[in-house]
Amino acid sequence: MLICDEYITPSSLADAFAAMTRHRGRYRVVAGCTDTLPWAREGRAGDVEIPVLIDVSRIPELIARRVDDKRVRLGAATPVQRFLDVPELARALPAGPRCAVWFADDQIREQATVGGNIVNASPAADVTPCLIAHDAEVELARSENGAVARRRMSLTDFVQGPGRTALQEGELLTAIECDALPAYGGSFEKVGHRRSLVISVVCLAALVKLDAQGRRVEDARLSIAGIGPKPLRLSEVENFLRGAPLDTGRLEQAAEMPVALVASRTRQEYRRDVVRGFMLRGLVNAAKRAGADPAALSAELETAYA
Amino acid sequence: MPDIRIEATINGRKIARAAKPHQRLIDFLRDDLNLTGNKEGCGAGECGTCSVFVDGVLMKSCLMPVAKAHGATIDTVESLAKTGELSVLQQAFHKAGASQCGYCIPGMVMAATAALRANPFADREEIKERLGGNICRCTGYQKIIDAVELARDVQNGRLPAAALAEEEHAEGDFIGKNVRRIDAPSKVTGRLKYAGDMTMPGMLHVQVLRSPHPHARIVSIDTTAAEVMAGVEGVITAADVPGQDGFGVFVNDQPVMARGKVRYVGEAVAAVAAEDPLTAKRALAAIKVVYEPLPAVFDPFDAMRPGAPVLHDYAPDNITKHIPIRVGDVEKGFAESDLVVEENYSTQAIEHAYLEPEAGLAYVDPDGVVTIVSPSQNITHHRHMLARIIAKPISKVRFIMSPVGGGFGGKEDMIYQGMLALLAMKTQRPVRLVFTREESIASTAKRHPSRTTLRMGLMRDGRINALALKMICDGGAYGLSTEGVMRKAAILGAGPYAIPNVRVDTYGIYTNNTPSGAFRSFGALQTQFATESHLDICAERLGLDPFAIRRINALRDGGMTHTKQKLGKVSLARVLEAAEKASGWEAGAPNSRGGTRGDLDRVDTRPPVSLGARFAGEDKQEAAE
Repeated sequence: MLICDEYITPSSLADAFAAMTRHRGRYRVVAGCTDTLPWAREGRAGDVEIPVLIDVSRIPELIARRVDDKRVRLGAATPVQRFLDVPELARALPAGPRCAVWFADDQIREQATVGGNIVNASPAADVTPCLIAHDAEVELARSENGAVARRRMSLTDFVQGPGRTALQEGELLTAIECDALPAYGGSFEKVGHRRSLVISVVCLAALVKLDAQGRRVEDARLSIAGIGPKPLRLSEVENFLRGAPLDTGRLEQAAEMPVALVASRTRQEYRRDVVRGFMLRGLVNAAKRAGADPAALSAELETAYA
Repeated sequence: MPDIRIEATINGRKIARAAKPHQRLIDFLRDDLNLTGNKEGCGAGECGTCSVFVDGVLMKSCLMPVAKAHGATIDTVESLAKTGELSVLQQAFHKAGASQCGYCIPGMVMAATAALRANPFADREEIKERLGGNICRCTGYQKIIDAVELARDVQNGRLPAAALAEEEHAEGDFIGKNVRRIDAPSKVTGRLKYAGDMTMPGMLHVQVLRSPHPHARIVSIDTTAAEVMAGVEGVITAADVPGQDGFGVFVNDQPVMARGKVRYVGEAVAAVAAEDPLTAKRALAAIKVVYEPLPAVFDPFDAMRPGAPVLHDYAPDNITKHIPIRVGDVEKGFAESDLVVEENYSTQAIEHAYLEPEAGLAYVDPDGVVTIVSPSQNITHHRHMLARIIAKPISKVRFIMSPVGGGFGGKEDMIYQGMLALLAMKTQRPVRLVFTREESIASTAKRHPSRTTLRMGLMRDGRINALALKMICDGGAYGLSTEGVMRKAAILGAGPYAIPNVRVDTYGIYTNNTPSGAFRSFGALQTQFATESHLDICAERLGLDPFAIRRINALRDGGMTHTKQKLGKVSLARVLEAAEKASGWEAGAPNSRGGTRGDLDRVDTRPPVSLGARFAGEDKQEAAE
């Protein structure tokens, strides 16, 4: 049970910082609460008394978003469901809708926030790899001499390990900015113990851009989670694919490359098999959605992994 | 803890009320507004029994601090049939038989309502996907999905409204007919009150202190600090039991609360009744229990070894029950067989996970009758046991069975009703206890984990000549239904087969694990898992089709079971035929096909589980472009 004496819902960033200053050492920032409430139960944290909860989910800046053909800016408290139901966002983040559909369920996605998923820094976070593939940066804000001071860093650097981020005391994750990649085909592959409401054992975001004929890979973006302490960008595989012809042999070689990266605490062998399969499936699906020439990939590969 | 002010529109009415800052929306709706159609199945967002519309968007009210409801428009399941007339979806659930225990059904109706609002033309796969956040444990999903499809088609005009009406059948003619459940309207509307939904004036809330040790002597329990806390009305321990303590389905080895020692993690040690659950929780924290840990045993094989820790004085060998069955001469049967196969099989503990966690309400009525309202699956037996435990004549003990939100055998045990009775007697006020999901999992019975050694002797033509089965089950810390489970496991262990020589031994063993008890099939699963798996292995060794080896050995009309029960009709042949046909079975020994087989991936078999049904149209469009 989560017990608090005060629940504050600031309506501006300034109010939020004022509350954080006022209750320094006695507060916790929440947004969707979909992780915090289950955490405060028997078997996990048990009954938790936190004097003050500061709910940032109604701060206008944190729920604003800006999307064009080049860039995406998402307020940190954007619910994950928006990846699915905002067409311009789905267009700019081609793996986003499929990432979202595997994230918890339709109901929890309406509450759970993009920023919350990032700040929790779970090794199996679903949203984080999806955004890492877009070269995402996080914007962090703090109150300094009465003004709001901001800094930025890459999402890859921000997440440091299980439950660990570069967020400092008194600092809030306010926004995520990343590339819009509307010309890419996207896919998101995930496996867990069941279909909905499941934590990833492995998940992979794959984005592929092809030439006009659908035969050559102009760019590939890959990020994987669940195989180590933090989500990883697969730059080496991207370099291997960039500029190369789209063919079965090349994809099979690419699929083999990240297998050696599996460094989870448990079920490494299973995860290696999954990584190989997901790489192929993710690349095939993304390539198809990017307009791959149907002759480029072997029929066998398509039936096995589509 | 200052209250917060909540102004909202709930089911079309404005409300303005104070709330506690730590309340969740589900607490506010259930406890303050009495909107108990919103159930709490897990409290962690996993089950969907508590879903409500917040500003038109379906959300899980157990994951929402009440402060988030301020200024919002909330619609609960109670809003769907506000004037008493069922919505199209509710009528479809009624028609399709999509309610059994009913506990998940209000949430299912809400999720289905949201799904058809999002896409009025959603196909079956998309409906499944959109209902993915809701769990059902007894209806079985098929009828729920059927109901949503029916409602969709009626809403879209593809089916007439008459499709929702009951099918006609002659008065008194029910068998083979689709007869609607009488209680379905109460379930699809959320109007049905389960024990945890019930309240009484002056009611107190109960919380239970549970053992953190698997095996420990209780040196002392000091409840003084808890007793004097404001808002605490009663604290009980084993010392408050006035009669002869002990309950169980076969052996009364479990005290209402731990007496002298604890035998498993999660065992009740003390209980508190207070004005609100939080006060009761804080009182639990003020109870001082001094334990002296004892060596514990967690494996039934270890528990059977000489010198193992002993759980109960009456059973120095830790054997709860041994059931032996002997037919013919098994050793001779093996000697005469062409093939003898021995294998080991194991099954694990399984939690029933009924969606309604245990709950009960108790009071002493004006005539002094101690009354317990709970979803007990065994109220008459509980009544007799409780009368002995609280030293009252049977006429002064009453059990009322509240709607059971799923049981599957897991609510046969009188795990908490004794504490409720004692607290109602001690405080002379109504008392209510509602388990959390975690408490339910930690303290109540599981399916018996088993390890079976099975030896079977067969003739070349497939006839079984002899069977020897020995199963060791982890019965956990208390007897509960173990004896009956071992009995049924033994009786049904050799399967529906005519076998001349049989030796079966089933053992239920005490360990310091969570007690095992009744669970659907009651022991038959464990032994038959071994026997049926074994038959497939033997079929392979003999080059026989698995259906064929079963037909060769099947008991027939007039046959005799190995416990000497003469059978009139035996339906096994029909069952095998139906299963063979429905599965599209490709005849042959299990190993006759190599890497491929013709009976998989047929058009009528279920595809692998995936998500993304809502993108199906999009992918087709992409393919077309």
